[in-house]
Amino acid sequence: MKNLVNIQSLSTGYRLKRGKTRLLHQNLSVTLHQGELVGVLGPNGVGKSTLLKTLLGFIPALKGEISYGGTRLKDISVKEMAARVSVVLTTRIDDIYLTTEEVIHTARYPYISLVGKPSEKDLEMVKNAVLLTGIADLLHRKFYTLSDGEKQRVMIARALAQDTPLIFLDEPTAFIDSPGRVELMHLLRAISRQGKTILMTIHDVELALQFADTLWLLGKDGSFETGIPGDLINKGSINKLFDRGNVKFNSDKRRFV
Amino acid sequence: MTIASKKSFLTVSILFLIMGVVFLSVANLWLGSVTISWGDVLAAVFNRPASPQTNIIIWEYRMPQVFTAIAVGMGLSVAGLLLQTVFRNPLAGPSVLGISSGASLGVALVVLAGSAFGMDVLQSAMMLNDMAVVVAAFAGALVVMAIILYVSGRIGNVVTVLIIGIMLGYAVSAIVGVLQFFSGAEELHAYILWGLGSFAKNSLVRSEVVLMVTLLLVFFTWFFTLPLNAMLLGESYARSLGFDLKKYNTLILLLAGLLIALGTAFTGPIAFIGLAVPHLARAWFNTSNHKILIPATLLLGANLALFCNIIARLPGLDTSLPINVVTSMIGAPVVIWVIVKRSKIKVA
Repeated sequence: MKNLVNIQSLSTGYRLKRGKTRLLHQNLSVTLHQGELVGVLGPNGVGKSTLLKTLLGFIPALKGEISYGGTRLKDISVKEMAARVSVVLTTRIDDIYLTTEEVIHTARYPYISLVGKPSEKDLEMVKNAVLLTGIADLLHRKFYTLSDGEKQRVMIARALAQDTPLIFLDEPTAFIDSPGRVELMHLLRAISRQGKTILMTIHDVELALQFADTLWLLGKDGSFETGIPGDLINKGSINKLFDRGNVKFNSDKRRFV
Repeated sequence: MTIASKKSFLTVSILFLIMGVVFLSVANLWLGSVTISWGDVLAAVFNRPASPQTNIIIWEYRMPQVFTAIAVGMGLSVAGLLLQTVFRNPLAGPSVLGISSGASLGVALVVLAGSAFGMDVLQSAMMLNDMAVVVAAFAGALVVMAIILYVSGRIGNVVTVLIIGIMLGYAVSAIVGVLQFFSGAEELHAYILWGLGSFAKNSLVRSEVVLMVTLLLVFFTWFFTLPLNAMLLGESYARSLGFDLKKYNTLILLLAGLLIALGTAFTGPIAFIGLAVPHLARAWFNTSNHKILIPATLLLGANLALFCNIIARLPGLDTSLPINVVTSMIGAPVVIWVIVKRSKIKVA
């Protein structure tokens, strides 16, 4: 398997005033492989999104090295990054009058000149993404009229149309009902089976265990563990991370009781 | 609507707006304190023999107003659109960045400072149309713009830039206030007249220059269609699509700032057009896509400015109201209507 992203002794967190830092995690070393569906799991506020933003270069790493296909993140321009990673974020975009089709077409912006028109290939990529996500009937509706589940599918189609080897998603299941979540996970797994590498932060533990190939567990104490779901359950890592009071993770039933 | 009918709606609307500019321009040439027949208007426009008096009225008084109104209507409107998208704020407009306040300070320094410091200055009435006022306004606007661009180049966060712009506007207005307090009645009157705005301050040559430079700047906005659309999705998405926002924000603010500085220097601060027209364009064409919004905003802006200039000259027809009175009376209801409409969308 190809190594797409290498992370070495990475520290995430925020720089505060007067040279102080708020450290969230340190010494993360892990690799992202091609075709992997990775879930970043951890309690609320532990720093899942911060890790994602650090990997994207939106916020600087406090320490350590991130490299994409052998090139250090620092040496990759914003423009080049757009051909490597596409994203689905939690930003709400409700106050604009764009059709679903126009939203998806933004994905091709990295590939067309500032005054250019979309090429045959651009239209082809959009069409494939629409087919795979099954949103053809939404194309001519205004984006803000869609349900939360539909919006998320559209944003995933948009990420697919960007034609990047990596797709990062921040809490893709937020705001979506249970059947919708399972549906979405099936879709993401199908996409990863076509060779895309997917990294998603997720707070729904049961869903992550069911669908992810690999889990990155982020602990409140700054701990970091990675492995396949089965191993992590057997080692008791899930219990360590999430058990509180009367609510405990049952490893046989694979859910909280 | 099907795609085909959407396309034809677009074509018809754009054609209608282009015709609107032509029609309102002719109406601007025709209406005024001196009655000129349609035939003579057209004769003067196409350089056919008309009476020398008609030629002078058309070419030295009315045509400069038409050119200025078109230029400033387009420039301020598209600047408002750029600012609303960059700041993701429906209330952003030419006045928020403090650029028009900067222009006011420049003018205040020229018109008021002399009398405020107890010096004898030029006749204020003469100064109103003086090139010194234009230069001072432009310089004042550029100074504020330079500060804004410096901040936006260093800080990626647009909200910070917006707040600094607004605060800068207040600070500059305070200095103007001090100058007003200490200046004489006549200079004060001249300054206030400048602040009420007018499309009738420019000679033919000057109005032609304003129109040419505006068209040149407007041409450059076309290159920002894609980053502006990407910005609609939010800063993070725009960045993930390869647009370095520090760079694009700064370039777009530079473009908007130049348009505002140009318009304000040659007409005084014009209220509401820059704020209201982008909203009108969005409502008319029911889209946020800049590929459509930029031309729509340009055409609507030219139409509205020409229309306001006619209204300003209507009462009695021998004197004209300050243009700001008219733009505010038309612009304010538009903004209210848009805000109410938006709140309905949120509920649905």
